[in-house]
Amino acid sequence: MFVFNFPDVGEGIHEGRVVEWLVAEGDSVAEDQALLKVETDKAVVELPSPRTGTVLKLHAAAEAAIFVGDPLVTIGSSDELPEDAPASVDPPIASASAPVAVEPVATGAPAVAGRRPLATPRTRALARKLGVDLGQLQGSGSGGRITDEDVQRSADGGGPAVAAPAAPSGVVATTVDGEVERVPITHLRKMIADAMRASKHNAAHVTHVDEADVTDLVAHYRRAKPVIEERTGVRFTLLPFFIKALVATLEKYPIFNASVDEEQQEILFKKYYNIGVAVDTPVGLIVPVIRDADRKDMVEIAAEVADKAERARSRELALDELKGGSCTITNIGPLGGVFATPIINQPELAIIGLHAIKERPEVVNGEIAIRKMMYLSISFDHRYIDGAEAARFMSDMVRLVSEPMVLMARL
Amino acid sequence: MVVGSVSRGCQVVVIGAGPGGYVAAIRLAQLGKDVILIEKSATLGGVCLNVGCIPSKALIHASDLAHEVQHADTMGLTVESLKVDLPKMVAWKDGIVDRLTSGVAYLCKQNGVEVVHGSAEFVSDRQLVVSSDDDRVEIEFEQAVIATGSRPMALDGFPHDGEKIIGSTEALSLQSVPERIVIIGAGYIGLEMGTVYAKLGSKVSVVEFLPKVVPNLDPEVGKALTRQLKKLKVGLHLSHRAESFEAGDPSIVIARGPKDEELRLEADVVMMSVGRVPNVEGLGLHAAGVTTDEKGFISVNDKLQTNAPGIYAIGDVVGGALLAHKAYQEAKVAAEVIAGEPAAFDSVVPAVIYTDPEVAWVGLGEAEAKENGHNVVTGTFAFKASGRAMSLDSTDGFVKAIADADTKQLLGVIAVGRGVSEFIGEATLALEMGAFLEDVALTIHPHPTMSEALQEAIEGALGHAVHMVNK
Repeated sequence: MFVFNFPDVGEGIHEGRVVEWLVAEGDSVAEDQALLKVETDKAVVELPSPRTGTVLKLHAAAEAAIFVGDPLVTIGSSDELPEDAPASVDPPIASASAPVAVEPVATGAPAVAGRRPLATPRTRALARKLGVDLGQLQGSGSGGRITDEDVQRSADGGGPAVAAPAAPSGVVATTVDGEVERVPITHLRKMIADAMRASKHNAAHVTHVDEADVTDLVAHYRRAKPVIEERTGVRFTLLPFFIKALVATLEKYPIFNASVDEEQQEILFKKYYNIGVAVDTPVGLIVPVIRDADRKDMVEIAAEVADKAERARSRELALDELKGGSCTITNIGPLGGVFATPIINQPELAIIGLHAIKERPEVVNGEIAIRKMMYLSISFDHRYIDGAEAARFMSDMVRLVSEPMVLMARL
Repeated sequence: MVVGSVSRGCQVVVIGAGPGGYVAAIRLAQLGKDVILIEKSATLGGVCLNVGCIPSKALIHASDLAHEVQHADTMGLTVESLKVDLPKMVAWKDGIVDRLTSGVAYLCKQNGVEVVHGSAEFVSDRQLVVSSDDDRVEIEFEQAVIATGSRPMALDGFPHDGEKIIGSTEALSLQSVPERIVIIGAGYIGLEMGTVYAKLGSKVSVVEFLPKVVPNLDPEVGKALTRQLKKLKVGLHLSHRAESFEAGDPSIVIARGPKDEELRLEADVVMMSVGRVPNVEGLGLHAAGVTTDEKGFISVNDKLQTNAPGIYAIGDVVGGALLAHKAYQEAKVAAEVIAGEPAAFDSVVPAVIYTDPEVAWVGLGEAEAKENGHNVVTGTFAFKASGRAMSLDSTDGFVKAIADADTKQLLGVIAVGRGVSEFIGEATLALEMGAFLEDVALTIHPHPTMSEALQEAIEGALGHAVHMVNK
């Protein structure tokens, strides 16, 4: 028996929809015969059968959402067909939020003792590193090869990794104005575009900007950094301070940690603090979520941010690491600028922008002093949050980052 | 503590500086470990560099050359009187060994590996003593790697004296070509050295207890080797048990055949090659708590860990294929496991016999593949149809590809022929990468080379070879 999984058809496509089955259970199929029509965000394509045999089982119903690696059809010999094979079709294998990309081989032929898993040495090493048993995996690669992505997905608990980046190569055409390269929009870019447009369309965006004197915070940080790094081996940054300050402020102003159920006309106040951290990657914006940031210490947060940012850049994050945020922080500071007006990561109601720390002359106790100053911005949904509340929220958060001892005291 | 002894400490001690030991020591040092490498002999490199792989290949090449120039009439080459200066050939070989062993010493030094010469004996699971003629060093370690290798097995009735009854070590340093040499055991060492001396002009007889040469390999391999040994006028006495030895001039080897008949072979030199045994005696394995199997090989898991926590073993001393490249890989795995990395040994191990023609193989043979439940398809390409083989005047041999008939996954390759050792690495890579027949068939192989035969054999397994008729 052979289970044909939804193959990676490339170009960043990792999901599709079954339009129509062209074969039924019990049918004989020849190699290269079209099995089904699948709609991706690019086109409707016919998937050919990789081998000759009898269709034993269809795993996905028409209209079902399917993800790369999902089983589509089991092909075998006619004597493997159960008697009076029902023509029914499994319900869709998984909902869009919890796709099961890799399933154990239990349904396939029993693994023969002594056979090596079909995986390259590099993939086998990755499996050892992540503690994945290759004997339990069904490969999504050519001829059933187990790929690095299959192993990563299995280690991540079954969620698919985000789509592979599409190389930005297109067709160069000469127009009257000069040369133009036409590059297809990647799936990720399209997702970002849809999310941004929906947020701008739905939310009543207002941005409030405040400024903080972080001279003391930076001084504390510089003293603590080498000690923390030596003891923990974790590269320590300022970001965990800001996440902690944000969480402390969210606790005081719960509406900023809420979302809205438009249909039921109810506000959902989150009792958890899952902070999204916007990460700039070569293929676009990705926002991994630091779950339960209120219950983690700053070193844990630093390690988790570093790990998730790294994996966001190498496209190894699982889908569930990108979901479930309650409020988002975007750290634009290192890239320069004065301040920006971020777009809310819906369905959240607010996003906080951290901007560059710069030395500026400030009046302190009637004297001009050189202080380390930064702007903090908050974009909020004015449908549910009023400007005065946002001003109070930012004023509180600014006090926490300006007076690190106050932040410590609150923890 | 004995007066005058020195006590030392290190993170990892490696016992034995052969291909397993020196590689483990260097890799451990690269991974930041403080390493002491213990070697009994004066030079590093073990059997492989000193008295095994490398010196034998030097003599094999020289004897091939001697044989070839004398059999090149068809190519229009005639050598009137070839002179074989064996002492000079041996000196040339020794020069190669010196270069390689000092190269290993240099690599150890550059990587910060400290070498201590002497014999190691465990006194506990965290301490050992290294004794040499003029020194005694106690070493406390956190972890140990046993890489003591193997040595030729002795046979009752044939006491080793290094002159009339020798092992492979002495066979690599003879000062004159013996008129008559009897080789006991037709394993790869016996066949390689038998071929060398046959080509240098000795009358060679091989006595083998089993009914065929290389019994574990595809029957076609044994046939090809037997054919070539006959061409070299090697007397092959299969199904004969070597019984006794009568010293004299010449000495006599007495063997008994399958019908209990007695065979008497005259010999100036007898070379023993009846197998190898692990070097575990005197190591104090009991004190360290390390257990061995019934043949004396140290039992390890795929992380090369023995039953004693913190003590690892690699190479010939753990059994399996007694091959340097298996030891290299085990060394790297053990070093990485010690350094806390998630390594394990899960590689296929290729093997080569440097007979004439060479034999090389990797992965499953046809019979093994069937035993493992595969529906097997094979493809074979004979070198007699190869342009390159003809131009080398070496058309003996073939390449056979073994694959799963249903999935078309490549399972194994066996090759017999001149220079096949050089492309068995390609077949090994194909297996490691999980290649299907199409993957190799669609890979261009340079023409004209012997390696084309691999592509042809695989296309044959797919049923569409071009340069032979598909069956």
